[in-house]
Amino acid sequence: MALSPYLLLAAALFSIGVYGVLSRRNAIGVLLSVELMANAVNINLVAFSRAHGTALGQVFALFSIAITVAEVVVGLALVILLYRSRRDVLVDAASDLKG
Amino acid sequence: MEHLLAIIVAAPFVAGVLLLLVPEVDRLMVRLVALCGASVSLAGSVLVATHYDLAEGGLQLAASYPLVPSLGIALRLAADGWSVSLLLLTGIITFAGVLASWTLRERSKEFYVFLLVLVAGVFGVFVSQDLFIFFLFYEIAVLPMYLLIGIWGSSHAVAKDGPFHFVWKLFDIGGREYAAMKLTLMLLVGSALILVVIFAMYVEAGQHTFDMSVLGRARYPRSMQIWAFPLLWLGFGSLSGVFPFHTWSPDGHASAPTAVSMLHAGVLMKLGAFGVMRVGMVMLPEGAVVWAPMVGVIAVVNIVYGALSAMGQKDLKYIIAYSSVSHMGVVMLGAATLTTTGWNGAVYQMFAHGIMTGLFFALVGLVYERAHTRSVPSMGGFGKAMPAVAVFFTLAGLSSLGLPGTAGFVAELMVFIGAWQSAHSWWAIPGILGAFFTAVYVLRTVRMIFWGPGPAARFDELADARRTEWGALVILGAALIVFGVYPALILDFINRTTPHYLGAVKELIGAP
Amino acid sequence: MTVTPLTLALVALFTPLGAAALIGAVTPLRRRGTPAAWLSIAAVMVTLGCAARLFMLRLAQPDGELLRTFAWLPSGSSTLAELGVRLDGVSIPMFLVLSVVAACVQVFSLGYMADEPAPARGRYFAYHSLFVFSMGLLVLAPNLLELFIGWELVGLTSYLLIGFYYQKPSAAQAAIKAFWVTKFADMAFLLGLILLVSVTGSFSWTASPPAPWATAITLLVFVGVMGKSAQFPLHIWLPNAMEGPTPVSALLHAATMVAAGVYLIVRAHPLFALSETTLAVMTSIGAFTALFAAVIAVVQTDIKRVLAYSTCSQLGYMIAALGAGSVMGGYFHLTTHACFKALLFLGAGSVIHAVHSNELAHMGGLFRRMRLTGVTFMIGALALAGVPPFAGFFSKDLILEAMVHGERWLPLAALLAGAFLTALYMTRVVWLTFFGEPSTEHAEHAHEHGALMVAPLVVLAVLSAGAGFFGKTLAAVYGLEYEFSLTPVGVAGSALGLLGILAGWFAWGRPGKTTRAFELVAPLGTLARSGAVNRAWELGYRQVLMVAAELIAWFDRYVVDGVMNFIAWATLRLGTRLRRLTTGNAQDYVYAVVAGAVVIAAWGIFG
Repeated sequence: MALSPYLLLAAALFSIGVYGVLSRRNAIGVLLSVELMANAVNINLVAFSRAHGTALGQVFALFSIAITVAEVVVGLALVILLYRSRRDVLVDAASDLKG
Repeated sequence: MEHLLAIIVAAPFVAGVLLLLVPEVDRLMVRLVALCGASVSLAGSVLVATHYDLAEGGLQLAASYPLVPSLGIALRLAADGWSVSLLLLTGIITFAGVLASWTLRERSKEFYVFLLVLVAGVFGVFVSQDLFIFFLFYEIAVLPMYLLIGIWGSSHAVAKDGPFHFVWKLFDIGGREYAAMKLTLMLLVGSALILVVIFAMYVEAGQHTFDMSVLGRARYPRSMQIWAFPLLWLGFGSLSGVFPFHTWSPDGHASAPTAVSMLHAGVLMKLGAFGVMRVGMVMLPEGAVVWAPMVGVIAVVNIVYGALSAMGQKDLKYIIAYSSVSHMGVVMLGAATLTTTGWNGAVYQMFAHGIMTGLFFALVGLVYERAHTRSVPSMGGFGKAMPAVAVFFTLAGLSSLGLPGTAGFVAELMVFIGAWQSAHSWWAIPGILGAFFTAVYVLRTVRMIFWGPGPAARFDELADARRTEWGALVILGAALIVFGVYPALILDFINRTTPHYLGAVKELIGAP
Repeated sequence: MTVTPLTLALVALFTPLGAAALIGAVTPLRRRGTPAAWLSIAAVMVTLGCAARLFMLRLAQPDGELLRTFAWLPSGSSTLAELGVRLDGVSIPMFLVLSVVAACVQVFSLGYMADEPAPARGRYFAYHSLFVFSMGLLVLAPNLLELFIGWELVGLTSYLLIGFYYQKPSAAQAAIKAFWVTKFADMAFLLGLILLVSVTGSFSWTASPPAPWATAITLLVFVGVMGKSAQFPLHIWLPNAMEGPTPVSALLHAATMVAAGVYLIVRAHPLFALSETTLAVMTSIGAFTALFAAVIAVVQTDIKRVLAYSTCSQLGYMIAALGAGSVMGGYFHLTTHACFKALLFLGAGSVIHAVHSNELAHMGGLFRRMRLTGVTFMIGALALAGVPPFAGFFSKDLILEAMVHGERWLPLAALLAGAFLTALYMTRVVWLTFFGEPSTEHAEHAHEHGALMVAPLVVLAVLSAGAGFFGKTLAAVYGLEYEFSLTPVGVAGSALGLLGILAGWFAWGRPGKTTRAFELVAPLGTLARSGAVNRAWELGYRQVLMVAAELIAWFDRYVVDGVMNFIAWATLRLGTRLRRLTTGNAQDYVYAVVAGAVVIAAWGIFG
């Protein structure tokens, strides 16, 4: 089976993710967009694994999913902290590191 | 014996770690542990000197401990004749430095920890035969200085006047933070230049090892040597006070506490000169031959310019600091001659100047601690109250102006002879002139501080050197005379190594 | 038991060094003063004994030389420099002169320094012992490098002893000035040595460098001689050096140390003989200094300064003789001058000790009160004036003959004029000091100070009176033929000397004429007292060197360091500008990341 449809799908998913990260003002939205990008990568991994006939890519995808879970935990925790400190989850409000 | 060099390097470091376990309030214990670390290294250095087989020469007491085999990095330690003499220097200065700072009160534990780490780095540089480790130790030796000056330094010891003192305010010149920052930044820029060349050499040699003897045998292309040598010269040179990158030195020395000034001027500045010679000139001989005229001219500028600057200072520490700039010029001049005599003289001058300036800074510390001023014009007549300090200060001064019978004379004589025999004979003349200028400002300083009736009665009650301070002064003073009367003690080691290292250069310039 | 000459020399050399080290290191000994003094004197007596024995051995067997050296500085597989001792006809007599004068002076010092505090006395004698060692090293040196080492070390002891009263500002200034001027000259000497070793490969004076180098080397070394032996225009430090205790002036600044320059030329004569130019320069400078310093000596009011300028002048005689090629003349005059000038200084010391002043105006009428000092001083003065049969006559005669022989007529005229002036100023000093009426309280109650101070005067007076007859012995030891013969120029010289004494008596000797005589030489006095040479040097120091130093220090702080500070400042400014890029908004950073990724991807695809 051809590789390119999967790659196109992954590219589309990744682009949507990038657009989301750049445009969403809500922190949870940003986090979801990041998840989209990660899953685009996962699709790529699995697709290449299939095309090359090795299991390595699938193993890696599993790893990636596990790590993404941890990342979301940390991310959501940060969002909660942000909400507690500002009663708000808008990312452009959190600019304390402005130079 | 196999691990002797490793012990020398490790002893101060271990002592530093042990110090962390000693309670701060137990002052004596803190000092004794520090002294022990210094003593082990000093004793080890003496052992190295006695065990070094002069008949055999070359690298001895070699030991290798693999660190990163895939990159060819290993803790390769070995001593040649140059190392032997510089190990002895470091051992003596460290020992005397610990004694001289015996009366330090503020955070003395941390002070000694940093001091010992620094010393471990210095020892490491002198015995490293692995370029990566060489650089690592070099950085270990340079960085603690930031904290040592920044925390324990002194600020604004001498008030400024004149139309330009707004500049002092603008940059906080004279402040210890300013001095520490300036020193660290300038030396780090130098380190960056060195690192570039080290990697270039590693790649060009293509042997996948940082072993200096392997890298030294590699024939680097001429074009690479020509761009790489000046980077090494300026990189290491920034630490040895090469004009115009010397300006950290007066401010740094002036702000640093006594033992740090001693180590810094006495030993650390030698790391720079040692690096220029050992890495730059020995390993990149073609670059050295091409750039030697430049190195020599700048060295001559250093000598005369440093001496004249010292003459124009009023702060005692600045005078001594500028004299270091001037005397390091003598080292670089010796290096630039590319002759056996000149190189012997350069390494001997490192030794002689290290001892001498160590003695100077120890004495300046004593005077400052008692008189609470460093402004030379406001002093006078101290000879009566502190005769021992006066005697040793005069002795250090005499060595610095190259009086026969002191180590300074031997070194300067060899450097000047080397200069005359080099391709640029005229270098000897400003060099000698610099020695005369040194006589002018050193004797003037001695007269203003110790001679005469003195301006104020409050100076009559100053205390002379005390017990541990005596120890430091006697060790350093005796070394100045012993190595001035019988230089062969050290010179035999240096001379055993120099012709070997100079071989490649001599082939290039076709000298006999 | 037979003692070899080498052992004798080493014992003679290192006993004083041991004494100096002992006094220096053992604090109770130094603080006590008197034991230190006796230790130092014992050491110099040992040296004297050894030197006398060496001289005797040399007399018995005047051939050959003893040379023992060891490698001092290696360079590669060869030796750069050697140290050791060399015993021959040049070094042994000088060593004897040194030890005789040093012994006399140290014994004299016992009395002279008795009023000083004990620790100061300890210091004083430690310096003296160090001096005997340093000078011995200079004298016995087998090559020019070791001679230079001794040369610098005597410079050091000179500095320490001139500055003995270190709390007195003028003494401190004088010490430092002496060191600077001689060091300045020594730098030329050092350069000469470096040239020598570079051209010939050794520091030996028997090496023969090719002609142009020989001239350069000898001229440079001669600059060193001019510094140490106080020749015009580097003589300026010697009058100031009189700030030291008077016995020091006798030993260092009259008899031995300042004569080291002359000794050097005698020693290294094979080298100097290679260059006609240098010899001519030596004669000119020597003769000029002989006359110039004699003129100044006439108008000095301080007894020690008269003697100091007289020393300059006499050293000029020696150097002129050496320049004219008469080694024997220079060396002989060096020996006799050491005796009578040391005598004169010690006599002056005795007088100063009695009247508590250096000024001639504070003396007068002392002959009746201090007969022995007076008689011995006059013997010294007659010897200096070149009156036969005193020592100075023979040696000065030899020098004048050398001038005739070398056909150096102009220098000869200067030296003859100098001979007249020498007699004139010595007569003046003798008269103002010992005759006439005492002018102060102290002068009135002056008296001799016991055997310790008188005995050295007597010993030196005997030598000053008789040393002239030993020219033949000295020549034999040196390995030369010498027979005294009276020549017209010798007669002229001593006649001028007698004329000078007569003129001096006319000017100052007759009662009531003193002031008028001063008026007579007033213009000359103004000129001499103006110290033009001194001022020129001081101008160089203050207006050139110090200003240059100030300028360089300023340049370093504000220009060189200013550039460094500017770079730091510019970096900070740049950082301040760039900080606006840090918005703190995470999405702006992501934009940057994406933009970067796009650029890299584009580069990968299209580049």
